[in-house]
Amino acid sequence: MTDHKTAKRNSLLAGFVTAATAAGLAFWSGWLSPGDGEANAASGDVRVAASVCEAHELRAAKEEDPSLEIEIPSEFDKSWPSAGACRSAIAAGDPLAPGPIQPIPFSHKHHAGEFQIDCLYCHSETDRSQAAGVPSVEICMGCHAQFPADYDQIEGIRILKEKWENKEPIEWVQIHRLPEHVQFRHNRHVQAGVECQTCHGPVEELDKLHLVPDSHIGYLVPVAKLEMGWCINCHRQNNHQASQDCLKCHY
Amino acid sequence: MSELDRRDFLKIVGLSAGAAATAGCDDPASKLIPYVVQPEEITPGIPVVYASTCQECSAACGLHVKTREGRPIKLEGNPDHPINRGRLCARGQVALGRTYHPDRIFGPTARSGDGSSQAIGWSDAKSKLAAKIGSAAHKTWILGGPVGPSLDGLIDRFAAATGIAGRLTYEPFGQHALIEASEQVFGVSAAPIFDVSGADLVVDFGADFLDTGASPTEHAAQLAKSRDITSHADGGARVVAISARQNLTASNADLWVPAAPGSEGVLALALAKAVADRKGVDTIVGDALAGADVAAAVRTAGISRETFDKVVGKLVAAHHAVALPPGIASSTSAGAGAAAAVLLLNVAVGAVGSALSYPASDAKPHASLKDVLALVDRMKAGEVDCLLIHDLNPVYSLPASAGFAEALSKVDLVVSFASMVDETSVVANLLLPDHAAMESWGDASPRPGIRSLVQPTVRPLHGTQALGDTLLGVARAMGGNAAGQMPEGSWKSVVEGNWAGTSWRKALAGGGVFGSPSTREVSVQPSAANLHPSAPRLQGSRDLTLVAFPHSYHYDGRGAALPWMQEIPDPVTKISWNSWAEISMAKAEELGVVFGDVISVETDAGRVEVSVYPRGGVRDDVVAIPIGQGHTVGHYASMEVDGQEGVARGANVGALLPAALDEAGGQAFLSTKASVSKTGRFRRLALAQFTDNQRKRGLAPEVSLFDLAESGGSAHFLAASSASASEAGGGHGEEAGPGEAAEHAEDSAGGHHFEGPPFEFDRANDAHPDQPYRWGMTIDNDKCTGCSACIAACYIENNISIVGEEQVTKRREMTWMRIERYVGDGDDNVRDGSDRRPTPDGEVLGENEVRHLPMLCQHCGAAPCEAVCPVIATYHSDEGINGMVYNRCVGTRYCANNCVYKVRRFNYFDYGRKNLPGLLGLMMNPDVTVRGQGVMEKCSFCIQRIEAARQPAKDAGEAIEPNAVMTACEQSCPSNAISFGNVRDPSSEAAMLAKQAKDRAYHALQILNTRSAVTYLAQVRREENEGVH
Repeated sequence: MTDHKTAKRNSLLAGFVTAATAAGLAFWSGWLSPGDGEANAASGDVRVAASVCEAHELRAAKEEDPSLEIEIPSEFDKSWPSAGACRSAIAAGDPLAPGPIQPIPFSHKHHAGEFQIDCLYCHSETDRSQAAGVPSVEICMGCHAQFPADYDQIEGIRILKEKWENKEPIEWVQIHRLPEHVQFRHNRHVQAGVECQTCHGPVEELDKLHLVPDSHIGYLVPVAKLEMGWCINCHRQNNHQASQDCLKCHY
Repeated sequence: MSELDRRDFLKIVGLSAGAAATAGCDDPASKLIPYVVQPEEITPGIPVVYASTCQECSAACGLHVKTREGRPIKLEGNPDHPINRGRLCARGQVALGRTYHPDRIFGPTARSGDGSSQAIGWSDAKSKLAAKIGSAAHKTWILGGPVGPSLDGLIDRFAAATGIAGRLTYEPFGQHALIEASEQVFGVSAAPIFDVSGADLVVDFGADFLDTGASPTEHAAQLAKSRDITSHADGGARVVAISARQNLTASNADLWVPAAPGSEGVLALALAKAVADRKGVDTIVGDALAGADVAAAVRTAGISRETFDKVVGKLVAAHHAVALPPGIASSTSAGAGAAAAVLLLNVAVGAVGSALSYPASDAKPHASLKDVLALVDRMKAGEVDCLLIHDLNPVYSLPASAGFAEALSKVDLVVSFASMVDETSVVANLLLPDHAAMESWGDASPRPGIRSLVQPTVRPLHGTQALGDTLLGVARAMGGNAAGQMPEGSWKSVVEGNWAGTSWRKALAGGGVFGSPSTREVSVQPSAANLHPSAPRLQGSRDLTLVAFPHSYHYDGRGAALPWMQEIPDPVTKISWNSWAEISMAKAEELGVVFGDVISVETDAGRVEVSVYPRGGVRDDVVAIPIGQGHTVGHYASMEVDGQEGVARGANVGALLPAALDEAGGQAFLSTKASVSKTGRFRRLALAQFTDNQRKRGLAPEVSLFDLAESGGSAHFLAASSASASEAGGGHGEEAGPGEAAEHAEDSAGGHHFEGPPFEFDRANDAHPDQPYRWGMTIDNDKCTGCSACIAACYIENNISIVGEEQVTKRREMTWMRIERYVGDGDDNVRDGSDRRPTPDGEVLGENEVRHLPMLCQHCGAAPCEAVCPVIATYHSDEGINGMVYNRCVGTRYCANNCVYKVRRFNYFDYGRKNLPGLLGLMMNPDVTVRGQGVMEKCSFCIQRIEAARQPAKDAGEAIEPNAVMTACEQSCPSNAISFGNVRDPSSEAAMLAKQAKDRAYHALQILNTRSAVTYLAQVRREENEGVH
């Protein structure tokens, strides 16, 4: 137990140092300055889009600064992939944004926020099983197989299709991790009308998923890490419905 | 910085760096890996159950394999299967472990002359074998164990197509003697099927039908039905067990006749004659019985004439008596004669056609030991160049004197198809490992009319290949005639082809096709008169008879590789992890040995050293050793798990046995005399129960049929248990009546006053008043046979750790459930403590006072453990369950010290992780926490099953049905002794049974006012125990 805690503390420290260093570097090197990017490299010249996504970017830049000269070759002058899809994919793959890098820069904001796809459409077992169920590659392909080939410009979709063709699973990095020795049932909470966001945060607003600060004011745990105090806080507030019996979760 | 508390640190991070820094706060990333294509029937988190068939013994019980996300995690009986009707014995339950076993062979391996082995590819391996068979077909043999009809047919086709010299199917515990006897008596070449469900008297001639008999699960269920006290006011069936040692059947018998080993045949014939004289029989039977000599039989058996007459009286009085023929422990050189005598006894009592029937078709004959010995001779003579061995471990299971191991070295190419390493596979030159049973297709036909299907429930974990596919591949590699004569397609398609004409999908879903077993009429043939059951020839002139009996769990040795079978104590002696030798108390005294002293057992064939277990329940002229231990190979089977690779665990009885044959060529296990001597060494045996004395505490009381019939029988029985408590002296008496709180039950019928039961209570009250549930259990001790299937079920369901021999000897076993075995009410003489060795000495030869008490957490309403936990890790839930919160436990062990039932177990080490090497961790039930080092654990009433049952009920907005929850122990119990349910609902089975049988209902140690949720129903004494000698 002690070893585990020490290791955890060390990893916390390491994480903090890494994040702080990264943030510092980002600040000094000006990586985060707006308008940065490859398309912008040859400043002053006519900027030529190299992909549909870049075309979207250039158009947006020109809207802000009409003096820009841009050129969009006809093969990239398309509405697919959409500007939103491009933007969200880039945001989800941003190495500096909080949260781990996923094997596919998947944006919940794009799917659940902009397109309003119901959480249970993909996480379809959530209302009937204890496990929420991470969607199979097949479920992703259910929609994405029908997308035009142009969409393959987006890295995530390209990887998805590769995985599908090779029949390889996608190894997602777990973010919401229940501590050990706890049994949790998604179906009970979903059926009781608990919003997914209550525990998972405003997923539909996040391109890149990460743990978000808790919204319960006055509670000392600063981050929604699915710790017991945080669980029981909610169970107490819903005393008539939610059990506070230890054995409901611990067995 | 190292002093910084984690929480403080998090706060700082939260305030200063915000969410950006929290990405680094996670544990090393764990992955979520979903399916590529999620199978339609699988919902992560919800188990999927497949029907299959158990492959552990020839009974072929139906299985329901519970899988989670593609891995089997629990085996249960298939309720629709006609053999086991939803129940499963301990051996069947843990067979699942073979799939994930560390002994699994990962892929084809070639071993060269210098002993070095090297992994090879499947096509290389198959062409190597094909080339060998191609060049030496006439010197190639197949030696294997019994397999299902499809595989059997395929091997036969393979043998024919490749033109090999021959094939032997050998079952070490075969039934040759019984089939030969059937041939002689009825002219039928098949083993009879016994049904004791309608019997009122069962006479067991050493078959040990409740433990290691032909179909123990089926028979235990039948016996439970035929002696169910609620439907038989007269007590139902009586059991007479004839056995030199008190085995499990004798422990449950109403009368135990400790006849001399080997006398079963003459005794049966004499009994048949005595019955025939009283009841009259056909001339043809009369002729067959003419040779019987009652006086001589009684003399041979070493029993009194009174005992004999008593059994005769029972046989004559019974309307539906049945006699079961000798089993392995009593198989002698005159085995066929003895079995024939028992069959004639069945004729004399009129059991033929009802309790004893014959399948409609003859069984395919198996090779006998004689045939195998002939093969060994060929091997020695250099006439065998290539030997293919499947589903058999002949190096271990053949008697050492057969010389199989030496003969094997003369064979040029030994091929083993074993899926796990064993004594044979380690000396094979070519290993072509088969799938584990859970990965295979196959079928079984335990009797005509019943076809049972084996289907894979997990993808092959290693680079193994089904034996069927290997044979098909080898034949194809040989090409020409061999390839042409073999069926097309894969092994699966061969099985499917054999099931043509049935609905394949329906068979897959249901587990097979279960018609009514077709039987045939039989009549006694004149050849029965040729019967001459004689006292067997025993080799040597030593003073004791060696009784080699099948171990309850290891059987012929196949179970020894499974850690649960090692750890769960033997149901009779309560010894685990090692061999023992049973000798009588008198013999032990004569030798000057006590429990655990190593003795040397010697026969003309060999010698072994083994720790001694002196007991009352064995004849003075017998030394009894279980078969099944003494493996030198295997992680658990040998001492490897204890760091001594290659060292045998216990003793292999095979070393003591001559290769003795019965009339039919089968092995006679009861074949030799033996002598014992003291070695002066001591080896502590891992023993789970140190005494069979319950010290008059009424833990496992007994109520006689007479008292039960009287009105107010309960008073009699409780009076008996509490009166004994007050007899014990002041201490108990004072405890019984603390005065102000005690409500004294009044004896309404008998008129005499007694002290107790002191604390009347209703267990249904011990839950929150608003709760609709109070979970409780009712255990009928009268039905419990002590078989321990429930323990195995509990181990698998609840991820209970295996601790190993050393830890068990330190009394650190982790079992949540145990079956206590007491003899009589016990005596409460306090020992002076000078003899710290265990003293299981209550047994008396020929007396049967054994009481079985399944003991698990009682989920007390006033639990002693809860009061002493300093961190409230154990507490009482709203629904009456004594909860155990592992992550709150700090390991003070106060609770275990204060528990009066000794059902709490402590994780002294990290057993859960360390003792599950290989892939065994994949077998864990994901719904139950694997406990870490330093926490206490105990029975949870299978709370995960309660919660699972709650889900559909909540979805429908209804209450959980009173009987919807079935705990693992209840599910497995062959005799249906355990009922679990919501005792607050009077319609639950647990509440109903306790009410119905209130004359027998009691709580263990009720005197301590723990308000236990488990109601026991006392064992019923059906016969006065006079003792027989």
